[in-house]
Amino acid sequence: MSSSTSVKRKVPSTPNQTFLSKTFHWINIISLLLMISSGLQIYNANPVFGGRAGWHFPDFLLLGGWLGAARHWHFAAMWFFGLNLLWYGVYIFYTHRWRHRFVTSADIKVLQVGENVKRKNYAWHRLIYTGIIPVLLLAIATGLAMYKPAQLAWLSGLFGNWQILRTLHFITVPTVILFTGLHSLLALKVGSVRLVKSMFF
Amino acid sequence: MSLILPKNTLSRRRLLQLSGFSGASLLLGGCALNPLSEQVGQVFEPLNQSLEKLLLSQKPVPEFLASAIEPKKLLVNTFDFTPKIDPVKFRLTIDGDVHHPLQLSMIDIQKLPLTSMVIRHICVEGWSAIVQWGGVKLRDLANLVQPKSSVRYVYFKSADGYYESWDIASALHPQTLMAYQKNGAPLPIDNGAPLRLASPIKLGYKQSKWVTQIKFVNNLLPTKGYWEDQGYEWFAGL
Repeated sequence: MSSSTSVKRKVPSTPNQTFLSKTFHWINIISLLLMISSGLQIYNANPVFGGRAGWHFPDFLLLGGWLGAARHWHFAAMWFFGLNLLWYGVYIFYTHRWRHRFVTSADIKVLQVGENVKRKNYAWHRLIYTGIIPVLLLAIATGLAMYKPAQLAWLSGLFGNWQILRTLHFITVPTVILFTGLHSLLALKVGSVRLVKSMFF
Repeated sequence: MSLILPKNTLSRRRLLQLSGFSGASLLLGGCALNPLSEQVGQVFEPLNQSLEKLLLSQKPVPEFLASAIEPKKLLVNTFDFTPKIDPVKFRLTIDGDVHHPLQLSMIDIQKLPLTSMVIRHICVEGWSAIVQWGGVKLRDLANLVQPKSSVRYVYFKSADGYYESWDIASALHPQTLMAYQKNGAPLPIDNGAPLRLASPIKLGYKQSKWVTQIKFVNNLLPTKGYWEDQGYEWFAGL
């Protein structure tokens, strides 16, 4: 993956991902698309910013067609999204992947004082994809806090008032979209098309 | 960064094109998926309902301080018109599978123990308002009429034609009230005077206004509630 094209250079080994990682990645993408598109339809029933008079998302971004249907999608896809993240958490914990597959203090050090551009890009890549996990967890926590605010009053109480709760839940959407862009670019930069392909197929 | 790619492999440009196309088609596909919404609801509503029933407890939901009340946030939603009811002539009918069916006037109802609560009222649309409701516990009314042991559901009929049905556990929750006060004052007509349902454990559309009949029943009818029959979730527990 260097800029050298010398004949002697070894062909870089094809990156390989475990079946479980690829499964997690696929389910995460599809369930998130369903969560976001149905979520924006729910948003439109009473926009977080400005209420009924606020700006509404255009139809082509929405799933369900109306509030009742969007809720059916949202509360169906939540099982796939939430449980997928849960088993993946158990998986990376038991296989100790969390120790060496995610950002470490070594990466942070590289970002601060590193000179090697490739190593720095790699550190950025690990930092960004690790950073999305708390955002996904925040989406679940704020979602549950609004879905069952009476029975999970302790959870809703953590977020102050209802407007803060709705805002935080909504903010996870642009955050995830921004992340997806950065993550894709960094993956291409770090491992080129081979790395991206290895994560999907 | 150049890379020696084997032939027939996906180029970066091609990959970006493909991801652009698939992203766009997924977005457009959203509309194509809309006709499946009802089936998705039919498959997942029972699962979600069992989660909601599991979470439901008879323990009171934590309440808010009176200073937290948000009088302007409670929006008025009606499905049709606002009925004007003479509180003197008003009678609440409580019947169905009960041992002692009753008709109560507002004076009878106001003689029963008054419960006040400051809770969050949450609309399916996404907004919420912290409200004080005062009224009689539905549980106390149930004790008067003595539902039979086979009763599992409660139907509520309203003067405007609105109808709702609840599971018995939620109906007998200690914070499920037939309310006649809002924010320390008599209940306004727009909010359901003389008598409405109020509870922290269900979404707003379950909380019928202008209730004239409470019916304890063994089974759900095909008509479960005005909005449920349009496609909203029936349990709607919070």
